[in-house]
Amino acid sequence: MTGIMTGRSPILQLRNLTKTFGSFAAVNSIDLDIAEGEFFTIVGPSGSGKTTLLRMLTGMEFASSGDILLRGERINDLPANKRPTCMVFQSLALFPHRTVGQNIEFSMKIKGIDPARRKARALELMAQLRLPENYYAKNVTKCSGGERQRVALARALAYEPDILFFDEPLSAIDYKLRKTLEKELKDIHRETGKTFIYITHSLEEAMVMSDRIGVMRAGRLVQVGTPQEIYTAPKTKFVSEFIGDVNIIAVSVNGSGVTAPTLGVGLKSPPAPAGFAAGHLVVRPESLRFLEHAGEADNALSGRVYNEYVLGSRIQYQVRVGEQVFIVEKLRQQAFAGKLDDNVLIGWDAKDSILVTD
Amino acid sequence: MSILSRLLPPGRRHALPLILFMAVGFAAPLFAVIAYSFVPARTFDLWADWSFDNYLEVFNSTSYIAFGWSLGLAAATVLILALVCYPVAFGLARVFGKWATLITLLFTLPLFVSENVRLYGWIMVFIKNGVLLGTLKSLFGWEPDSIVFTPELTLLGMVYVYLPFMLFPMTLGVSMVPQQTRDAAYDLGASRWQVFREVDLPLSMPGIVIGFLLTFVLAVGAIAEAKVLGGQRIIPIANDIEVAFTYAQNWPLGSALAVLLMLLVGFLVLIVLRRFDLDTILGRR
Amino acid sequence: MNSRSDRMIRALIWAWASAIILFMYLPAIGLLLASSTSSRYFIFPIQRWGFDWWQKTFVSLEIHQLFKTSFAIAGSVTVIAVVIALFGALAFARYDWKGRGIFQKIVLLPIFFPQTVLGLALLLWFNALGLQMSWQTAVFAHLVWIIPVCTLVISIQVYSFDPALEEAAFDLGASRFQVFREVTLPVLFPGIFSGALFAFLLSWGNFPLSLYTTGADTTLPEYLYSKMIAGYTPGVPVLGTASTLGAGILLLCGYLLIVYLRRRRSADGA
Repeated sequence: MTGIMTGRSPILQLRNLTKTFGSFAAVNSIDLDIAEGEFFTIVGPSGSGKTTLLRMLTGMEFASSGDILLRGERINDLPANKRPTCMVFQSLALFPHRTVGQNIEFSMKIKGIDPARRKARALELMAQLRLPENYYAKNVTKCSGGERQRVALARALAYEPDILFFDEPLSAIDYKLRKTLEKELKDIHRETGKTFIYITHSLEEAMVMSDRIGVMRAGRLVQVGTPQEIYTAPKTKFVSEFIGDVNIIAVSVNGSGVTAPTLGVGLKSPPAPAGFAAGHLVVRPESLRFLEHAGEADNALSGRVYNEYVLGSRIQYQVRVGEQVFIVEKLRQQAFAGKLDDNVLIGWDAKDSILVTD
Repeated sequence: MSILSRLLPPGRRHALPLILFMAVGFAAPLFAVIAYSFVPARTFDLWADWSFDNYLEVFNSTSYIAFGWSLGLAAATVLILALVCYPVAFGLARVFGKWATLITLLFTLPLFVSENVRLYGWIMVFIKNGVLLGTLKSLFGWEPDSIVFTPELTLLGMVYVYLPFMLFPMTLGVSMVPQQTRDAAYDLGASRWQVFREVDLPLSMPGIVIGFLLTFVLAVGAIAEAKVLGGQRIIPIANDIEVAFTYAQNWPLGSALAVLLMLLVGFLVLIVLRRFDLDTILGRR
Repeated sequence: MNSRSDRMIRALIWAWASAIILFMYLPAIGLLLASSTSSRYFIFPIQRWGFDWWQKTFVSLEIHQLFKTSFAIAGSVTVIAVVIALFGALAFARYDWKGRGIFQKIVLLPIFFPQTVLGLALLLWFNALGLQMSWQTAVFAHLVWIIPVCTLVISIQVYSFDPALEEAAFDLGASRFQVFREVTLPVLFPGIFSGALFAFLLSWGNFPLSLYTTGADTTLPEYLYSKMIAGYTPGVPVLGTASTLGAGILLLCGYLLIVYLRRRRSADGA
């Protein structure tokens, strides 16, 4: 999977792209190449600038400085209706006064394509997206959430865009349907072979679908990589926290290991990169385990089981070590045998932890 | 991006026609009135010697009586309407359900018929041998005095004319109270009265206050009720202004009176309106 | 909260609202009765029922001229008001821009202003400009009050308008004009239609602004007022009842049209 893009030419290049509102830089000098046919996801919390970035890419907002190159051509000043790109909106923005068919055909009508060809293409897209043919004359407001998603996607595909943008279209959908649609979207990406650029605040969603992920924070791209890279090798505390439940211990480098001032102990860690003086040690809940003896793992801490949370196939335990709270995650089959308030020994191996900067 | 769209972003561009129209059609006439209030009495020339003479004349005249009547009647109108309209507004927001639209239409319809004509209808109802007294006479042989051309009927006319102006903002206000918040208050042990006082009233206050303001301001400037129903027994301030402009042909004096009324109205409107965010009242998500 | 006292309160609210509606329509009933007698003077209970005065009133040439003037004013006001108010409403509720808060309050001011004073101020202003009063100046005067009302009515629809619809159409290749024609206008249509209805009816029934600004032209409400103070004539109840019925029918038709459009929009097929 990681080699998926090798040898492909970039379709979209961002050079030092910046957008300022007054003195505030919503998007701050972003450099990025996106390959033809790639599924690229930009992840960030609200206010990180991802929506502003997307709006610049679609032509609904104009860059303050820097360049956007589409197949090598500068498109900074091209408005949205002149760009060969199209977006699926967060609200979907389906035209409520139009039928499913009319929504899909909108761009073709604007281009002046004759009605018979329009209809043929619309029905083709509906079939591809598994929308029943009799929905052609159905009012969009009468469609279910999942159907509306497909209509919005069909409408965007009918525009024959070079790049399809997605502005968190799944955020308002319930969990189960969202999971189905995520996979469907990835299938459609394969079928069409088009470049998809997706933004979301959920790294989990990004992981499922993307070839590569870019994490944004305060207007900057802080890390770009494959889902695998982002998951296993986050570079900063921010990125590692974004992935989900993690245990983070503030540390400073001390010889070959590190010390954790809050725990008052020295810990074994992976070798610190050159110039790394202080930061955080990240340990995933599933890398932590309950120990019989301190020697069973590279690092061991004694604490008290405070609570347990059952997450279906897995169970999490909150273990308090002094002031610090640790989350330990076990498969159901390997559940902790003791009871709440038991004193326990937890530990992990140095290879399962990651050193990150602030 | 062209220079034009940078100078005139969409919001400003769309507002422009309306702003220009209001400058010519609303602000300019008001400035004309203010200017006229300073020229010598009974002149029509704007460029005569400006002075405060008209205002002095107003303060030395009996206009304060007219001001008093207008303010008093307006206050009474607001008070009565508050009591009359609240249950209806509450009904429109919570009780009437699918009937609410039709009932709203029924309250809107009278707004489209000339005020004078509708007030004249009250004469048909209350006059001797009219609908009310005629019925009493023929059914019970009882002949009470007609209340036509009294201050009481004037007040009734004002309550009648300005009712929708209290009702609609109030309904907007009452619909702003989330039902769940009321339920929560009941659930926490509040009585019906406590829910009204602690939840309904404060949360619907913006709409209620705007209703108060609108009815008060319009009622202070009322004239038709006194003319049609009051038989000139009371002279409201708008009548004094009209007389100065028409029969007396004394535009400067009329302008001075109008400026005083405008100051009163403008002052009230500005202090009340600046405290409200219209978006929340009119329903922006 | 027990359901019996709750039901009683609901019943009381219904009863109170019904009483208030009756109160609102008492004068209309009075006018209707007064217009349905054949005698010269109104005496209740009516001795001789009849619609002679309706016939006499509506064949009068003078009345035809009044209708023409009123219609010319209300028609012009509707067209101009809707255009300015539509853009005004977009500025009021659609766009976020610096000065929007002040703009919203400026829009409200003329509504919060005594109309008699506004009419006189306009008279004075037109005079200062050297304009001759006629039905055209009355159109202008009506607009000062009706544009803000119309803007508010349309704004309520604009508040529920998703701006992403316009962006989506633009993104799909439509020009600014196509976006306006294909998306903005049709989606806002119910609000625009209500605004037009309000504009027409409010202009048709207006008296205080017309009084000082029509000059030699006379509108229906002005005529009715002059007849009213000149002494009783059954023509006044006739025209009053006709106005009420006319406004009622227009409002009902408009309401049904909007209900129909809404139903068609949410139904399948188009």
